Amino acid sequence: MIDTPLLELKHVTKIFKGGGLYGGREFKAVDDVTFSMPSKPNILALVGESGSGKTTIANMILGFLKPDRGEIFFEGENIRSWLKNKPKEFRRKVQAIFQNPYEIYNPFYRVDRVLKLTVKKFGLASSEKEAEELIYNALEAIDLRPKDVLGRYPHQLSGGERQRLMLARILLLKPKLIVADEPVSMLDVSIRAIFLNYLKEFKKQYGISCLYITHDLNIAYYIADKAVVLNLGRVVEIGSMEDIINEPLHPYTQLLIKCIPIPDPKARRKERLKLKKLPIREIRPEKGCPFVLRCPYAIKKCKEQTPPLIDVGGGHFVACYLYER
Amino acid sequence: MNKKKSILLEVRDLKVYYKTILGDAKVVDGVSFKVNEGEIFGIAGESGCGKSTLVEGILRIIKPPGYIAGGKVLFRGINLLELNERELREIRWKRIAYIPQGAMSSLNPVLRVEEQIIDAILDHSDMSRDEAVELAKKILTELGLPEEVLNMYPHELSGGMKQRIIIATACALRPELIIADEPVTALDVVTLKEVLQTLTELRDKYGATIILIAHDMAVHAEVDDRIAIMYAGKIVEIGNVHEIFENPLHPYTKGIIESIPSIKKRKMIKGIPGIAPSPLNWPPGCRFHPRCPYANDACKSKIPELIEVEPNHLVACHLYR
Amino acid sequence: MGRNLKLKLGLSTFIVLCLIGFLAPYINYYRLGGKNPHEIGVGDRWETPSLRFPLGTDEYGRDIFGMLLMGIRYSLFIGILAGILGIFIAVILGFISGYSGGFIDHVLRTFMDSFLVIPVWPIFMTIATYIPKLSLISLSILLAAFGWSGSARRIRAQVLSLKEREYVKLAKMNMLSDLEIIFFELMPNIMPYIFIEFTNMVMGSIFAETGLRLIGIGPPMLPTLGYLLNITIRGGLLTTRPYVVAVVVSTLALIFISLNLLNIGLEEEFNPRLKKVTGL
Repeated sequence: MIDTPLLELKHVTKIFKGGGLYGGREFKAVDDVTFSMPSKPNILALVGESGSGKTTIANMILGFLKPDRGEIFFEGENIRSWLKNKPKEFRRKVQAIFQNPYEIYNPFYRVDRVLKLTVKKFGLASSEKEAEELIYNALEAIDLRPKDVLGRYPHQLSGGERQRLMLARILLLKPKLIVADEPVSMLDVSIRAIFLNYLKEFKKQYGISCLYITHDLNIAYYIADKAVVLNLGRVVEIGSMEDIINEPLHPYTQLLIKCIPIPDPKARRKERLKLKKLPIREIRPEKGCPFVLRCPYAIKKCKEQTPPLIDVGGGHFVACYLYER
Repeated sequence: MNKKKSILLEVRDLKVYYKTILGDAKVVDGVSFKVNEGEIFGIAGESGCGKSTLVEGILRIIKPPGYIAGGKVLFRGINLLELNERELREIRWKRIAYIPQGAMSSLNPVLRVEEQIIDAILDHSDMSRDEAVELAKKILTELGLPEEVLNMYPHELSGGMKQRIIIATACALRPELIIADEPVTALDVVTLKEVLQTLTELRDKYGATIILIAHDMAVHAEVDDRIAIMYAGKIVEIGNVHEIFENPLHPYTKGIIESIPSIKKRKMIKGIPGIAPSPLNWPPGCRFHPRCPYANDACKSKIPELIEVEPNHLVACHLYR
Repeated sequence: MGRNLKLKLGLSTFIVLCLIGFLAPYINYYRLGGKNPHEIGVGDRWETPSLRFPLGTDEYGRDIFGMLLMGIRYSLFIGILAGILGIFIAVILGFISGYSGGFIDHVLRTFMDSFLVIPVWPIFMTIATYIPKLSLISLSILLAAFGWSGSARRIRAQVLSLKEREYVKLAKMNMLSDLEIIFFELMPNIMPYIFIEFTNMVMGSIFAETGLRLIGIGPPMLPTLGYLLNITIRGGLLTTRPYVVAVVVSTLALIFISLNLLNIGLEEEFNPRLKKVTGL
């Protein structure tokens, strides 16, 4: 019996047409991306810098954008079909946490509204009293005292509290998958740890999987089991978190590991990193490997043909000709 | 390192308050520290601790309703708080350079990069235009930036490139002290590395002293020599960066160090419960006591002094007396 | 709201003017003992200003002061009616265009823009000349029809900017329908702008109507301030009794000033507050 993956992206491509009077140039925000998440509760880190296409992928999984090529499957079924035939069930199973706690609440309403709407729209309670109880329990489960938070307007709460309220909302629904787009990047360090621990707890206790989008490998290593590394819209490496950090194969991943600041002065790298003189503007090559202009090992083939994802065993894949048999 | 360094900057009991309808917001409330010549001194703290205001106070760029309520800022013995505008102009850019937060978006979009660097140089020196052009080229090359950027407009350049140009402009006149406020936030990892390398190079090659403000502790771990931890308008711990990371004394510092994930260690990170207080409502006594697992009665009423508990390691905590 | 002087001044003046307009017929009834100020021969011709006729009479013996009061009533009424009709169209089209995006937006936007490009005055004059018996309603509709497009564009711009906010995405994740999002998420935050556009349109409509009147175009049964201005100038009062004309012009100016203050006051009130509330 084959295990249906929870989430599967197959050759997903998204092209944006740049503005301009004469048609403008189009660019591929997401280029032939393929990866999957297993059905067993897991956390997958989607690692990429700005411009890597990670947010576009999130928007496509959530149904806010349609892929131009390729398909996205949730629990074996195409997302298009989910949204057309059973949108409520889809939204019940796939939820999101966004990056900016200052933008996720409508400033006109109190914060309770978000929670009350969730209960109402998904039919989670049969009476108002039951709804109140559900909300109270969800808040207390993430250590927020209901009387400190309910009845307040968004600007009366701190960024950390606002983001944690989103966790309470997730608890109300207990979805199968959370798409989290840099949820802690705008929070203070002391709050981040608490938030990340909750996400881990959700996986353990409620079986909620998470697609965690980030540029910070330190956070990815802490929270995720597996990672997909993106560069300029393409997947360059997939592997377990341990493999990616301790045995990075793709030159881009290796560069990321070399550059990331490590919170331990003893681990300071002594040699100065000699970085190739970057072109002044980030150029997205039409064909070939996206990293070719910065890669110290680039050969002619890298410029002309896009390297496919090569299986190097143990669930570890690299899109690099260095590893061709 | 036993070389006796001279003290370039000494801040004594600096206070910066903001007038509000509800009274004075004591954003920076009695901060003291010393910065040695030729070192990278980091100031770390979370949002709202007052680190940016601290720096604005040192540079005398506080705008009303903010005002300097007391203290001294001694730059090689000269109290910056007592200088007049003309004397300050002599020091700014030539001896002390400032790279504010978000500086890269302050590049003038309608001027070429060359113009902007030269403007800054000519404004603060007596050079001729030709000399300024030469200096601009020189500083860019020294920092590893391609000369072509001089002829480009800011919008044609990446964020990282812009930030390094800002740093180059700030360093053109070889200031003794460079103060950088969050110079690497919002930069991607590779550019971050380049900028940090640039900063260490400025220290190693030119003997510049750098004060680096950042909330990201990993950045501090990478480049600082010494670091000060700020909480609720006060400094709670100062020391050598290795000491602070290996042996944090203040409970807040401990909490922060234990909250940082790292690719080098697979360990649980804990976080600090509670919320940071607001300047209009500082808790009495030690400001950290509502969130401190070791708080006792003294902590709730008496403000702890910053004292040297181990050589070159200062803490403001009643646990150490 | 307490500290906003412009808003307070503008609003109170406007309310007083509306009150005068509302009570005008009753005041005149009391003043003239049941006679209509527009009736020919209420007083003698060319009477000088007196207690009975504070602004005197015109060549037909009509009470100018009484006509002024009625003028306020009619001008404001037409302005407000045109404003309501106009804002109605502007909100509907602005929202549909901004929220739908794509083809519908493109079509509606072209439609809106074409209205901005049309030479309004010549068309106005032509219509008004060929249909001399324009009723109050028709005139208001006409004024609204030429005033809505600017507001519609601005409302569309607001919708566009708010549509991408993350709280709208969250609403979608909470299964809110498009209509619910428009009414409950977007509308409350755009309401302030709608008010501002409304006052704008009222001002514009009164201005347009007055302008037409001055050229002599418009139904005589609608005795607005513009109409009054027209007949006083035509009757030569500009030279013989300039103060009368001055009073009429000042009344018009007062209406514009109060609306303008209201407009600016509203903008000041809602912009900083919105910034503070969204934490930006």
